[in-house]
Amino acid sequence: MKTLFFRLQHRYAPYIFVAPFVILFLTFTLYPLVKSILLSFYITNGPQSQVFVGLANFRFLWTDPAFHKAVWNTCLYAFCSVFLQLPASLGLAMLLNSALVRGRNFFRFAFFSPHLVGQVFVAVLFSVIFIPKFGLLNRVLHFLFEVPVDIKWLGNPNLVMPAMVLTSLWMYVGFNMIYFLAALQAVDRELYEASMVDGAGPFRQFLHITLPGIRSVAVFVIVLSTIGSFQLFELPYVMLNNTAGPDDAGLTVVMYLYQNGFVSGDLGYASAIGWSLAFGVLLISLIQMRLSGTWKTED
Amino acid sequence: MINRFEDYFPFGKAPILILIITLLAGIFLAFNPVEKNTASLRLWTFARNHAVPYQKATPAFEAKHPGVRLDVQLVHGEAVTSRLRAAFWADLDVPDLVEVEISRAGSFFRGPVDQVGFIDLIPFLRASGMDDRIVKARLAPYTNRGRIFGLPHDVHPVMLAYRRDLFEEAGIDVESLESWEDFIREGQRLTRPGERYMIELSDNNPGHFEMFLFQRNGGYFDANGELIMDDEIALETLKFFIPLVAGPRRIGSDLGSGRVFTQAIETGYFLSFICPDWRSKLVETDIPRMAGKMALMPLPAVMPGGRRTSTWGGTMLGITSACADPEMAWEVAMHMYFDKEQLAERFRETNILPPFKDAWELPAFREPRSYWSNQSLGKLYAELAEQVPPQYTSPLIETAKTKMGGVISSCAAYYREHGEEGFDAFSRARLKEAGDEIRQYIRRNPY
Repeated sequence: MKTLFFRLQHRYAPYIFVAPFVILFLTFTLYPLVKSILLSFYITNGPQSQVFVGLANFRFLWTDPAFHKAVWNTCLYAFCSVFLQLPASLGLAMLLNSALVRGRNFFRFAFFSPHLVGQVFVAVLFSVIFIPKFGLLNRVLHFLFEVPVDIKWLGNPNLVMPAMVLTSLWMYVGFNMIYFLAALQAVDRELYEASMVDGAGPFRQFLHITLPGIRSVAVFVIVLSTIGSFQLFELPYVMLNNTAGPDDAGLTVVMYLYQNGFVSGDLGYASAIGWSLAFGVLLISLIQMRLSGTWKTED
Repeated sequence: MINRFEDYFPFGKAPILILIITLLAGIFLAFNPVEKNTASLRLWTFARNHAVPYQKATPAFEAKHPGVRLDVQLVHGEAVTSRLRAAFWADLDVPDLVEVEISRAGSFFRGPVDQVGFIDLIPFLRASGMDDRIVKARLAPYTNRGRIFGLPHDVHPVMLAYRRDLFEEAGIDVESLESWEDFIREGQRLTRPGERYMIELSDNNPGHFEMFLFQRNGGYFDANGELIMDDEIALETLKFFIPLVAGPRRIGSDLGSGRVFTQAIETGYFLSFICPDWRSKLVETDIPRMAGKMALMPLPAVMPGGRRTSTWGGTMLGITSACADPEMAWEVAMHMYFDKEQLAERFRETNILPPFKDAWELPAFREPRSYWSNQSLGKLYAELAEQVPPQYTSPLIETAKTKMGGVISSCAAYYREHGEEGFDAFSRARLKEAGDEIRQYIRRNPY
């Protein structure tokens, strides 16, 4: 009896333990993925009313001005994330890696802490900061530079994206800084000492020791930031009061997907947008990895 | 020798702990099932100031209909739309009655008319004789392809709320402000950009512009569902509206809603603002210090003798197709929307004018309100109610509004930079561009 118990246990127990994950994965990941591919070939009014349109949803994306605007906004945000946020993160990390700075642990936590509160909280906080006339930012700018206090950060189409970038800068600079900090600490100190003996200055050290030393982490952070930027949704959605802002200035691809799928009820078009986004992000990530030489083998 | 725990269960202690917790949780849930909702009818609403009076009125309804249990549920404003849509899609947990906000209503009329999630109320309205006793224009937003899918909760006529104390100080006689021309003239005298504006008006949000558009009998869609947002009325309205919010002669600006708005009223940053009935209650609640200093006047007309109001906002009550007893659901609607005594009480609490005209004769609608300088709020709004313009809707109404917002902000930017030069052509082109985009979406609709 005991032998039979052990035999059955050894044979079936692993399956029983992986079953919850497999069931959940099949139900909530694989099935929706396959279903969304199929849905992208239909115009739908909810899942019960569907008209097969072949590739028309994907063709319509090419001519849909709102989608173009969403792509443009998202790319702009992603560009700013990579080219403003990451250098700032790296700069902070280098600063806080320096033995000359006192209270480094405190600053590390302080810069990282905005990430702990979540996008919705940050969006609410910044929507108050950006209020015209009585908001903190306008008050401070007025105090410092005598600019008018009624700048509509979230009401002027030209200022929505800068406001969004500023907010995400506050939120993510510290988060990415942690990655860079870890990478910097892994760079061999002896290389710096040797380079100093050879007469290299700080800039050359940064260029020839620091950057190559943190390359793999930098690529990881760039790819992660790009993917995260293309998934932007909560921040503009909450900051702009559940809208895309004036003149769709805060419309992102994911927000447009949400509007089509869950406000208009066209799950088919939303699926087409989703898959286009997925392929777009994949393509950009591959290009980034190719350009950064991730796949090059060391000689 | 098999006697150690690891021999019987070689996967470690953590998995066995998980198993035990799962087992205990399962047993707990089995013995404590979620209480089954035994209500015979469920009503969802998104507004607390609707839900509370409905809940108060429920015992009377249940007493009138023995054996019927009504459950009024307050669902968050954003969630009610997505939950309702999901419920329709899944055909699961669909309420019997539901209140939907006017700008969201159109999106539920998408698809084949027989598959709309609400039943046609025309037979009920005719049988009860209510179709002649409510403000007809308010049925327009909930009418689609010849069917009426919603009962209007309100009329929402619009007036102009103003700082009576500051107007008097400035020597303005509101009786003389009959047309927008009169109003603008005074506005230009009093406005000091950055410090004080005659009126709260947005240069990017379509909400304020719409009221001017509706006042002129314009709109986004006509009664047949055809797009009219780029017609001549819209163009004329746009050319009239933009100089009010942009350029050197502007008299309006906006800061946003909530606390910043109340501060702007208190400090006299805005001297007046467009005030539908529902907003008058918000102001009473949010700026109690302004009691006695505020007053209401009809909207200035486009031309002397013209319409003195417009409309802003609204809610419909629909009976869902999933409702097992539509007759009883209609009884609920009658009880909540057409019981005069209840409506009077509700008006005192919300300032919202009901579309049921019989109720307007009740004393509650004629009481002077000290907050509004002893004006009779109900009487003022009721006098304008019949002039309220109809606003027709479409599943694409929200997209159309977004596009109009874009047109307004780009035209305002153009006007700030170039003034009148080329403004006519630019406005026309931007409106047409926005209209064509919507037509592109309409053409794509296979239903």
